[in-house]
Amino acid sequence: MLGNLKVTYICVTLKLHNMKQEINHTLFFTQSPQEVWEYLTIPELMEQWLMKSDFKPIVGYQFQFNSKPIPQLDFDGTFYCTVLEVVPLKKLTYSWKSGPGERNIRIDSIVEWVLNAKENGTELVLKHSGFSLVDNLPMYAGLNDGWLKNMHKIAALLNKKHDGTTKA
Amino acid sequence: MLAKDSLTINSIADNFEMSRPAVSKHIKVLCGAGFISIKDVGRERHCTLKQDGFNELQKWINFFDKFWNTKLNKLQSLLNQKTK
Repeated sequence: MLGNLKVTYICVTLKLHNMKQEINHTLFFTQSPQEVWEYLTIPELMEQWLMKSDFKPIVGYQFQFNSKPIPQLDFDGTFYCTVLEVVPLKKLTYSWKSGPGERNIRIDSIVEWVLNAKENGTELVLKHSGFSLVDNLPMYAGLNDGWLKNMHKIAALLNKKHDGTTKA
Repeated sequence: MLAKDSLTINSIADNFEMSRPAVSKHIKVLCGAGFISIKDVGRERHCTLKQDGFNELQKWINFFDKFWNTKLNKLQSLLNQKTK
């Protein structure tokens, strides 16, 4: 029975691994890192292009982005975020969660901004990744990290297996 | 699942270390999230992959794809205008 469950777990993990798991964007601005950083960290400036929020660049700070609800996604219009990492003018990371409402979380993910100073401006890199569905029982919340690690381990085993069979 | 795939998956399972309680917990999470359904048949648990969870996840990723395209375009025009 354990074998069956393990096999199922591996199938799901592999299927998830094959889905597009990350969104990546790289942009270039002629402005300095300081200026670009302000558009990522000052709510009045963020609101002009991203969304209204009560963001503060403090690790551990919990904030929200306000957006329009989308019934087809069972989304109530609010993104719940927690600041994870702040390296002024260089890196900003926060968790990004959303769901059907009243703080019910359904989707969990991580948004990471990296600023690279260039000779004539700033390169801004966005990585939105770590997408996972969240079962609403809080006692399982801590499993996400472990699951992602397992995903990589299983994918590595699969690659090793394929390499093994293609060698003459 | 093709027979060929099932041989591969089974051999991965053999090489993949995971304790019984950990597997149980993860299966419960996957079930709650809509990726699998579990049916007790006699003494056995039968697991089936469900499309629901995968479809939902894909919908969200597609949404964020368009979302970031729109927002970053706005940021680009905003800052480009400032240099004029």
